[in-house]
Amino acid sequence: MAKGIGRRGVLQAGVAGVAASTLAAPTVLGQSSGGRLALGIWDHWVGAAANEAFRNIVMEWGRQNRVEIVLDFITSVGNKNLITIAAERQARQGHDILSFPTWEIHANKDMLEPMDDVMGRLTQKYGQVNAASEYLAKIGGRWYAVPQTTGSQFKGSAARIDLMKQHAGIDVQAMYPAENRLGPGADQWNWETFLTAADKCNKAGFPFALPAGTFTDATDWIGAMFAGFGAHLVDANGNITIRNNDKLRQALDYSKRLFQHIPNEMFAADDATNNRALISGRSALIFNPPSAWAVAKRDAPDVARNVWHFPSPMGPAGHPVPHLPYFFGMWSFSRNKSAGKALLEHLTQIEQVQKMVDASSGYDIPAFASMFDDITTWRTVDPPTGTVYNYPVRAHHKATPSVAIAPAPAEIAVQIYNQGIQAKMIARLVQNNESMDRVLTWATQEVEGFKRG
Amino acid sequence: MADGNVVTAPGVPAAVAPPRTGTLQKIARRKSTLAFVMTLPLLVVIGGLVAYPFFYALYLSMLNKRMTRFIGLENYTFLLSRETFQGVIWQSVLFAVGAVIAKALIGFILAHVLHALPAKGQRKWRGMLLVPWVIPPAISTLAWWWLFDPSYSALNWVITAIGVPPVAWLGEPSWARFSVILVNVWYGAPFFMIMYLAALKSVPDQLYEAAAIDGATGWQKLIHVTVPMMKNIIAITVLFSLIVTFANFDIVRILTNGGPQDKTHIFGTYAFQVGIQSGDLPLGSAVSLFMFPILAIFAVFVLRGVTRRSREMAG
Amino acid sequence: MSGASIAGGENAALGLYHKAGSIKRERRWALIGAYIALAVFVVFFMFPPFHMLITSLKSSAEIADLQGNPWIVRSPTLENYRDLLTNGNYVLHFRNSVIVTIAVVAITMVISTLAAFALARMRFWGSAALATGVFLTYLVPETLLFIPLFQIIGGMGLYNNLLAMILIYPTLTVPFCTWIMIGYFASIPKELDEAALIDGANHFQMLWKIFIPVALPGILAATIFAFTVSWAQFLYPMAFLVSSENMVLTVGIVSDLIRGDTFQWGKIMAGALMAAAPPLLVYAFLMDYYIAGLTAGATKG
Repeated sequence: MAKGIGRRGVLQAGVAGVAASTLAAPTVLGQSSGGRLALGIWDHWVGAAANEAFRNIVMEWGRQNRVEIVLDFITSVGNKNLITIAAERQARQGHDILSFPTWEIHANKDMLEPMDDVMGRLTQKYGQVNAASEYLAKIGGRWYAVPQTTGSQFKGSAARIDLMKQHAGIDVQAMYPAENRLGPGADQWNWETFLTAADKCNKAGFPFALPAGTFTDATDWIGAMFAGFGAHLVDANGNITIRNNDKLRQALDYSKRLFQHIPNEMFAADDATNNRALISGRSALIFNPPSAWAVAKRDAPDVARNVWHFPSPMGPAGHPVPHLPYFFGMWSFSRNKSAGKALLEHLTQIEQVQKMVDASSGYDIPAFASMFDDITTWRTVDPPTGTVYNYPVRAHHKATPSVAIAPAPAEIAVQIYNQGIQAKMIARLVQNNESMDRVLTWATQEVEGFKRG
Repeated sequence: MADGNVVTAPGVPAAVAPPRTGTLQKIARRKSTLAFVMTLPLLVVIGGLVAYPFFYALYLSMLNKRMTRFIGLENYTFLLSRETFQGVIWQSVLFAVGAVIAKALIGFILAHVLHALPAKGQRKWRGMLLVPWVIPPAISTLAWWWLFDPSYSALNWVITAIGVPPVAWLGEPSWARFSVILVNVWYGAPFFMIMYLAALKSVPDQLYEAAAIDGATGWQKLIHVTVPMMKNIIAITVLFSLIVTFANFDIVRILTNGGPQDKTHIFGTYAFQVGIQSGDLPLGSAVSLFMFPILAIFAVFVLRGVTRRSREMAG
Repeated sequence: MSGASIAGGENAALGLYHKAGSIKRERRWALIGAYIALAVFVVFFMFPPFHMLITSLKSSAEIADLQGNPWIVRSPTLENYRDLLTNGNYVLHFRNSVIVTIAVVAITMVISTLAAFALARMRFWGSAALATGVFLTYLVPETLLFIPLFQIIGGMGLYNNLLAMILIYPTLTVPFCTWIMIGYFASIPKELDEAALIDGANHFQMLWKIFIPVALPGILAATIFAFTVSWAQFLYPMAFLVSSENMVLTVGIVSDLIRGDTFQWGKIMAGALMAAAPPLLVYAFLMDYYIAGLTAGATKG
């Protein structure tokens, strides 16, 4: 048993908290002098436990500070969260604080409350946030949001220990042991090794379930793969760099070879298709946070026992690992800004972060890498013990959290990202057998369209 | 805005109450004014919640992405020049026309078959055939999606059981197009069936008897008696369904989200992707507005035909 | 009513013609063909609901298990139904759906009955164009409207409020209902209202005492249509309702029972089947009226 707060400990604390609150409730009633604060928070994919943990933290804070809390969980299924953001922006009412995924801070910054004060104190205490989060939420030197632990995720490999060993000859557990060191083979965990493994597992009947549709699971891993080859469609200044880009050709060539070993239906996959492939025992590897594993633990325990999480492969130009961060943003029409800021600062303290990481079985990733070693959850989650130890990108991985399409300017990037242009390029190459030049011309035309102001 | 309705409501009993002097009664006596007042709630609903937002959206579609500048028709010309959007136009037509034809045919066949059944059995069959129309489509589409799932497809289970290789229902562009149309047909065919059945029942039996005396075969009866009598309802049902199918959103959104490779995107889903997901509301509005002129022309012709025919029938 | 007339027609035909035998044979073959066609389509129409029913009776472990036949259930359980009815907001969503639907149907019927009467019987400037134009409302798609509606609804302070649904849904129901009833009212003989007018009735009395009773089947058909549409609406509640306790069934099921990549299929199916029950009941009991009501309205159009 590791020291620190175990899951059971938190659970007990949670129960005690609930009990205390029920007892205390009558006396607190009518004392909410701190006003009202409405939050619309990303509905957690790991499920009720994670939502409840969040609710407990927020409600407890509300009681202590006499702020009446309204809390809605808003799902990202069917992009409900994006509709909500658009709706509240247009209606100028709704919640005070919302969860904003990746690009939405850039898109809505004119209506978001700057968070420089909060972020200043937090970075002073916990060090720098990862570069990806900074790129998405710090615009023109100002913070417009606070990186959110709940929901922020990596999409590294979630692979079957047994199948990878048996069919691809790779011992993933030895390669990325649950300690701060790399094991044998980790230096060879690159896209070529990956392709060989994909081929072998596919031949054995356990193809890698790599989505190539327009949903984020597809966009995120493909984005990291392209970045690993140094292939970018648009540079940081907004110039289109599609034609005469050898690195891009290289990445596309590689994709074409890789997808010979991936089932055709993955071109229509959504964010859940890969999960089901893993849970059903039909796939040896997917790129996903531990939510697939968590469901397997409930519904298919034999599969879960054999799942190991570790970074995605490295490329010739670096080792980016797909990252999908969420942010807390506060609308400028909010009427309770000081309370909102205080709550956000409270939520980002390590005590609260620890609770959320714990309740989500390690799924949630704080933006402050300094917290990784202090939070014990990733060490203890099982079965198998240590399965999520290498899920957060740790210093010894020598990898970088990467947001797909970065470093393109956000206005262009959001469209490339949401319309899955990179995945479509692969699909055209593989499914339609189009020539490389035709694909590049098509992509250029699409991206030119995105540059319109 | 709701107050508008409330104001007219007290007006109702006042007008009903027989003799009372005052201007109100005088106005009420004027038939056209009264008629206008009775139509007012309708006008308020349509004007306030359809027409006004429609014109607003029209204006929105002529702004630039940041909504800071008026750019006229630039969004439209831009869209038309895009390969992807040209595909969307073609797919929307394929989806709507394909689905409506299939629905109309299936509905027609089923209505006839039901009509031929003895009254007692009819109700049972009718009830079963109506089920797809009754389940909220957003949810039944989820059930279909589950039937199409690559790992868990119960359809593929049946197919492989009879020795055919499994189908990538939503993964292969042509299959995906087929699948979204299939689900739309499944959901919408019962509506056609009911409308046609209603029409069939209204065809007077004497007409068939007369046709029988003339020695007409079943087919001739169909062509010369049934179809002409049903023309109006066929026209209206097809029109209504075409409009609704063109504007469909749930089915494609849930099944394929436009993929693979945008090959199943239709106006509604593409507008959503461009407008809400990619943050370009003006362009999204422009996409949605594209179907309006096409359908409006069609609708005006159909409705004119319907009015003419019913006038002929009445006269 | 309609059933009787068919039977009557049959007897008349048999009695009248000498070719009765061949007609009989033709009919028998037609009937066999009819049953085959029916069987094919019933299978096509019913297998997804059947699969839903089967899935709703399975535990999530059995759903995840790929061994064996997905079309049968090995250890049936009512757990999904029980859980929906006792935990979570399903019952609340159901109640909200009922409230919205009843309110919308009532509003729709008042608006369309008044309008249809005026448009069918009392000519005024633009009434003919309006009668046709009402139908054109459907040309404006929801996907276009919901963005401007954000501002309108926001301006009224009704975002994330059931009242917004009650306000917006009539745009989807009123045009078709008005149109059905214009047709129905038009089919009522003119002599009736002349007689009423001679008796000294005003227009409201005429509507209330003559038209509504006579047009009851048409009104019922319109009511059922309005009911079906409001019960099944998806995009507007999806766009305008965010708090789970304010949601109606369609969005409630999707947003509460799908946790990201975790679909609680058993509960989704159970929820969907229970959501289909009210319209199913309505149709089962009122279908004959519905058909009779559509008849007059639709053919006269």
